[in-house]
Amino acid sequence: MTSRLRYFFRRLGLSIPVLLFGTTVTFVAIRFGPVDPVAAILGDPTNAAATEEYERIRGQLGLDEPLWQQYVEFLGGLVTLDLGQSWVVAPNTGTVSLIATYAPRTIWLGFWAVLIAIFVGVPLGFFAGTRANTGSDYVASILGIVWRAMPNFWLAVILVSVLSQSDALLGFSWQQLGPDVTVTGAPDLTELGSPSGFLAAVKQVLPAAVVLGSASMGNEMRIGRTAVLETISEKYVETARANGVPNHRVVWKHVFRNALIPLVPIITGEAFVLLGGSVLVETVFGIHGMGWLFYRASIQGDLPLVGSLMVVFIVLIVAVNILQDLLYVLIDPRIGYTD
Amino acid sequence: MTCGSSDRPVLSVEGLSTAYFTDKETVHAISDVDLSVRRGETLGIVGESGSGKSVTARSLTGMVKSPGRILDGQIKYRHPETVTALAERYPDRVGPPSEHAESDAFVFDGPTDRYVDLAAAPEAALRSVRGDDIAMVFQDPLASLNPVYTVGNQIEELLTIHRGLGDSAATERAVDLLDAVGIPDPARRLGEYPHQFSGGMQQRALIAMALACDPEVLVCDEPTTALDVTIQAQILELLDDLQAERDLALLFITHDMGVIAEIADRVSVMYAGEVVEHAPVEALFAEAAHPYSRGLLASIPSQNPDAQHLPTIEGDVPTPTSEPTRCRFAPRCPEAFDACRDVHPRHVDVGDDQTASCLLYPDEQRRERAVRTHSEPTSEDHQ
Amino acid sequence: MHSNHPTHDDSTDTTGPAEPALRQIREHPRPALVWAGVATVLFALEFGAVASLFAELGTGVWRALQPGSRPTGLVERANAIPTLTSRDLITNSGHFDGDRWVGTFAGLEPRTAWVLRVGLVYAYAIAVVGWCWVGYRRYRRHYRPAEWTPLDDVVDRLRRHRWGQFGMLVVFLFLVLAIFAPTLGTTTVDQNIDNPFGHQIEYYDAETDSVESIAVGTANRQTQSRGIPDRNVGPLSYDQYGRYHPFGTLPSGKDLFTFLAAGARVSLVISLLAVGLASVIAVSFALLSAYYKGLVDLLFVIGSDSVMSLPQLLLLMLLSVLFSDTWIGQLYSGGILLALIYGATSWPFLWRALRGPALQVGDEEWIDAARSYGQRPITTMRRHMFPYVTGYLLVYGSMSLGGAIIAIAGLSFLGLGISPPTPEWGRAVDAGQQYVASHSWHISLIPGLLITLVVTGFNALGDGIRDAIDPQAESGSTDSQGAAVGGGA
Repeated sequence: MTSRLRYFFRRLGLSIPVLLFGTTVTFVAIRFGPVDPVAAILGDPTNAAATEEYERIRGQLGLDEPLWQQYVEFLGGLVTLDLGQSWVVAPNTGTVSLIATYAPRTIWLGFWAVLIAIFVGVPLGFFAGTRANTGSDYVASILGIVWRAMPNFWLAVILVSVLSQSDALLGFSWQQLGPDVTVTGAPDLTELGSPSGFLAAVKQVLPAAVVLGSASMGNEMRIGRTAVLETISEKYVETARANGVPNHRVVWKHVFRNALIPLVPIITGEAFVLLGGSVLVETVFGIHGMGWLFYRASIQGDLPLVGSLMVVFIVLIVAVNILQDLLYVLIDPRIGYTD
Repeated sequence: MTCGSSDRPVLSVEGLSTAYFTDKETVHAISDVDLSVRRGETLGIVGESGSGKSVTARSLTGMVKSPGRILDGQIKYRHPETVTALAERYPDRVGPPSEHAESDAFVFDGPTDRYVDLAAAPEAALRSVRGDDIAMVFQDPLASLNPVYTVGNQIEELLTIHRGLGDSAATERAVDLLDAVGIPDPARRLGEYPHQFSGGMQQRALIAMALACDPEVLVCDEPTTALDVTIQAQILELLDDLQAERDLALLFITHDMGVIAEIADRVSVMYAGEVVEHAPVEALFAEAAHPYSRGLLASIPSQNPDAQHLPTIEGDVPTPTSEPTRCRFAPRCPEAFDACRDVHPRHVDVGDDQTASCLLYPDEQRRERAVRTHSEPTSEDHQ
Repeated sequence: MHSNHPTHDDSTDTTGPAEPALRQIREHPRPALVWAGVATVLFALEFGAVASLFAELGTGVWRALQPGSRPTGLVERANAIPTLTSRDLITNSGHFDGDRWVGTFAGLEPRTAWVLRVGLVYAYAIAVVGWCWVGYRRYRRHYRPAEWTPLDDVVDRLRRHRWGQFGMLVVFLFLVLAIFAPTLGTTTVDQNIDNPFGHQIEYYDAETDSVESIAVGTANRQTQSRGIPDRNVGPLSYDQYGRYHPFGTLPSGKDLFTFLAAGARVSLVISLLAVGLASVIAVSFALLSAYYKGLVDLLFVIGSDSVMSLPQLLLLMLLSVLFSDTWIGQLYSGGILLALIYGATSWPFLWRALRGPALQVGDEEWIDAARSYGQRPITTMRRHMFPYVTGYLLVYGSMSLGGAIIAIAGLSFLGLGISPPTPEWGRAVDAGQQYVASHSWHISLIPGLLITLVVTGFNALGDGIRDAIDPQAESGSTDSQGAAVGGGA
C-alpha cells in the first residue's frame, strides 16, 4: 500500500507546476492583455481630475510597481487567499465575499449535474452493454449519442420554454408539481436543513442540472457500454463462467467493477466541462452562480475580479484532477504498484 | 462395449461438431470429434493452432461463444450423483439410452449406462455442471484472474458457490487449496492480488480455483504454454500428483509433444477440426499411424538431435468452411494419393486401442480395398 | 478482382514508387484517359469558382503586402467566367407580375427554382465525389503495383459500416452546404444580411395589382418572426414579397436559411483551423514523446496537464473579450482569434489520444534500428511513426470538430465569439430564445437541430473510421474516453 501512497503523493507534487502555470497564464492575460485594467474600470481619462483618479486607482491596483513585484504579490495574494476586490460588477466588494455568495449556487448545480449524469448515464450504459446488439441496446445507444451531441445552451433554451408553458404543451404544470418554484432563477440555499427547503432547492436546480449533465450523461453511457463490452470478453470472465459462477454474479461482481475503471477519468473529466459549461446554463436559467459572475465580469471589463475568478477555477480543476488520481488508486490495485 | 459403469469413461464425446456462423462464412471448427477419458486417466489432445482443440474443450460445457454453437453429437457425462441430481431436477427430460436420437431427453438412465448428454442439456443444467463436475484451467494465467480482487477472494467465491461454505470456513479451505497446489506461505498470499504473483504461481492459483469446485473432470487448455520450461515441469508434476490424489480425469490440451510425452496416458491428435488419431502415448511415440502424427513427432527437436534442419510439415492448417468431404490433410501429406481428395477417411483400428483416420489403413489390405472400407456404411453409423 | 498487369520483379526496382504506375499507364492508357477526361469536364464546370477564389486570395494578399495599389480587374474577370454552380444559372430571384413569374429560371416559381439549384449543386458534388471513388477503384485495379494494401481492408470495412456511412453522409451534406453556401442560399448574405438597404427587390402587390419596388431592408422589417401569428414567417413558406424562406425568417426579418448556410461556412472554417492547429501540435508532441521518451515525455505530460487545467470556455470568453478591438480580433469577425485559442487549448486531448499509438510504434524494433544506423530523428518520425498515427488522428480529429463547432456556437450564443453581423448558428439560437414555445419556434429549434445533427455526424464518422482501422476495437477501446464530443460547451 505504501508504494501506492507514494505514487499518489508524486501525482500531488506534479500538480504544483501545473497550478503555477495556470496562475501565470492568468496573470499574463490580465496584465499584458490589450485592455488596460484601469481604463476598463474608469474609462479613458479625459481631464485632469479623471487622470488623477486614474493614477490613484492604478496605484491601488499596484500597477505602478515593477512587473516582477506585481507577479510576486499576485502569487502571494493567492496563497493567502487575498483575492482583491471587484471594481466594476460590484464595486468595492471583496472577491472572497462575492465568491461566498455566488459559488454555492454553482456548486449545488454542479453537484446535481454530476450526480444525475452518473446515476442515469452509467446504469444505462451498463444495461446497453449487457444486452449488446439487441433492440434495446440500439435504442439506448442512439438516444445517448444524440443526447450527447446536443448543445447544452440549446437544450437549456428549450427546457426553459417547455417548462414555462408545461400546461399547454405537456398537459401538466411543472410549477405545481412538488414545491412551488419558478423555472428560472437562483435556488434558495438557505433552507437546506428542512425537507421542504431542500426539495425546493433541488427542484429549482433540477432542469439546469439535467442540461448541464446531458453531455456527460451521454458520454458516460457510451463509455460505460463499451467498457462493459470489453470487460465481458475478458478471459477472467470466461474463467469465472467456466467454473460455474452464476451469471448475475459474473455481471455484478466481475464485469461492473472492472468496467468502472475506465469510467473514472470520464467522470472526473466531465467536471472540467461542467466548470466551463455552467456559464451557458447559468445564464439561460438565471442562476446567478460563479460562471455567470465570470461572464459579467468579462464583458464589463472587471479585470481584477476576472483574474481572481479564473485562478479559483484553475484550483478547482487541479483539485478534481487530484481527486481522480485518488479514486484511481483506490479502485484499481494495479495502479502505482511497483515490484 | 464392456458393462459396468465403473469401466466406462466418465466423459465420452461422440460425433461432436461445432460451427461458427459469421456474416462472411460458416466455419466448421470441429467435425465429428470422438474422445473419451476415464477416471485417473489423462487424455492429451494435441494439434497445431487452428486444429479445433480449444473449441472442443469449450464445447464440453457449452462455453462456445456466439456466433458459434454445437451442431451435432453427444457429450456423455457419467458421474452417478450428477446424473441422479439432474434426473430429479428435470424429470420430464429423462429417457432410456436406446431412444437417444429421437427423444427430448438429455438425462439417460438405463440398466447398463447412465449419463447426461451435455450437448442437449439446457443452460441451467450446464451451469450446475460447470465447475462442480467439469472445471477448466485456461491458457493465460494473468488474464484469467480478475485483477481487482484478491486471489483469496476469487477462490473463496468458488468455494461459496460450489461447497456452500461460510466465510471463515471458505478462507480455511482456500489456504488448504493454495497449499495443495504448492504455493508457499498460502495464508499471506490469499490477500494478494494476481499481479503480485509470478506466472507459475498464477497458474497454480488457477488450478487451486478449479480444484475448489471439487470437479470430476479437469480440462486444461494449454496451461503451460505461457510459462518457462522449468515452471512448466513443476506444473505438470503438480497436476500428476493432484490427479493421483483425487482420481481426476484430466483432459490436457497442448501443441507441445514433449508435454504430451510427460503427462498423457492416451492421446488424440487433432487436425483442422477433426481427430485423426487416437493412441496410447507409448504407441503414439513408438509407431504413430497417421502421417500427420508422424510429421508432428518428427519435428520435435529432441527427436532429431543430429539434424541440420528440423523436418517440417509444409503448408498451413486450413480453415474449414464446409463439412469434410475428403481428407483435409491431403494437401500437406507426403503420402497422399488420388483417392485422398475424394474420400473422407474414417477411424479404423491400427493397433491395440489405437485408431487412425487415414486411407492408408487398414494397411494389411490392398489399397483399393482399404479405401472402400472408408466409404461403406457401417452398423455403427449415426447421422 | 483480377489484375491484368504482367508480373514483373519489383524487388530490384530501384526507381521511385511512381515508376511502375506510370509504366502501367503507358501500357493500358484507356481507363486512365477516360477518367481524366471526365474529371476535366467536372473541373471545367467549376473552373470559374476556383479561379475567383484564387483571384480573391491573390489580390487580398497583394493588397496586404502593397497597400494602396491599383485594383486589378482580376477578380471581376474571374467572377465573369460561367460556372455550373453560380446563382445566375438557375436563379430564383424574380418577381410575380400578376400572372406569371418574371426573372426566375424558366419562369418557375422561386421555390421550385431554388430546389432545382440546390439539387444541381448536390448532384455536382455527388458526381465529383463519385468520380473520385471511380478513380480510386481504377487505380487500384489497373495501375497500382501492389495487389493489396492494408488501406483496402480499411476501405472495405468502411463500406459495410452503417453508422459510419451515416456519418459520412451527414458530413458530406454539411460540407457541401458550407462550401457552396453563397449558391445554396435563397438570397445572398450581402443583399439580405449585411447590406439590406443597399439593395432593391421587386414584388407583386396584390392590392395595387402592380409590380412595386422596395428596399430589402424595409421588406425585412415587414417579414419579422416574433412569435405571434401576424408577425411570423415560418419554415417552407413565402413572405408577402414573393420571397421564399425554406427555414423561415429571423426576428430581424432576415432569411434564416441563408443565415445558417453562411454560418455553416464560418463554423467549418474556424473549426477546421482550430482542430488543424491542435492536430499539428498534438502530433508533433506525441511523436517527440514517443521517440525520445523519458524526460521529454514527462515534460509533455506536465505541459498538457497544465494546459488542460485551464478552463477552456472561460479562457475563450476572456480572451475574445480582451482582444476584440485588436487587429487579430478583427480577422474574420473574430473567428481567427477563436480558432487560435481553441487550437492552443485543445491539443492536450488529441495528444493524449495519439500518445498511445505513438508510444506503441515507438517501441517497435525498427525505430531502434533506424536510430542505431544514424537516421535523423525527424526522418524516422516522419517516415515510420507518423503513418501509424494518421488513422487515429482522423478518428479523434473528426470527433474534435464537433466539439469545436459547439464551443463556437456557445460563445456566439452569449454574444461573444463571432461578431455580428457575420452569421453564426449560435446567434440564431440566441435570437430565437424567447420564441421557442410560440409560433416562431423555428428560429431556435432549427439551428440547434442542425448543430446536433452535424456533431452526431462527425462523431459517427470518427466511429466509422476507428472501427475500420482497428476492428478489434469494435468492442470498445478504453482510450476513447470522452473522445466523441458532447454538447457541454
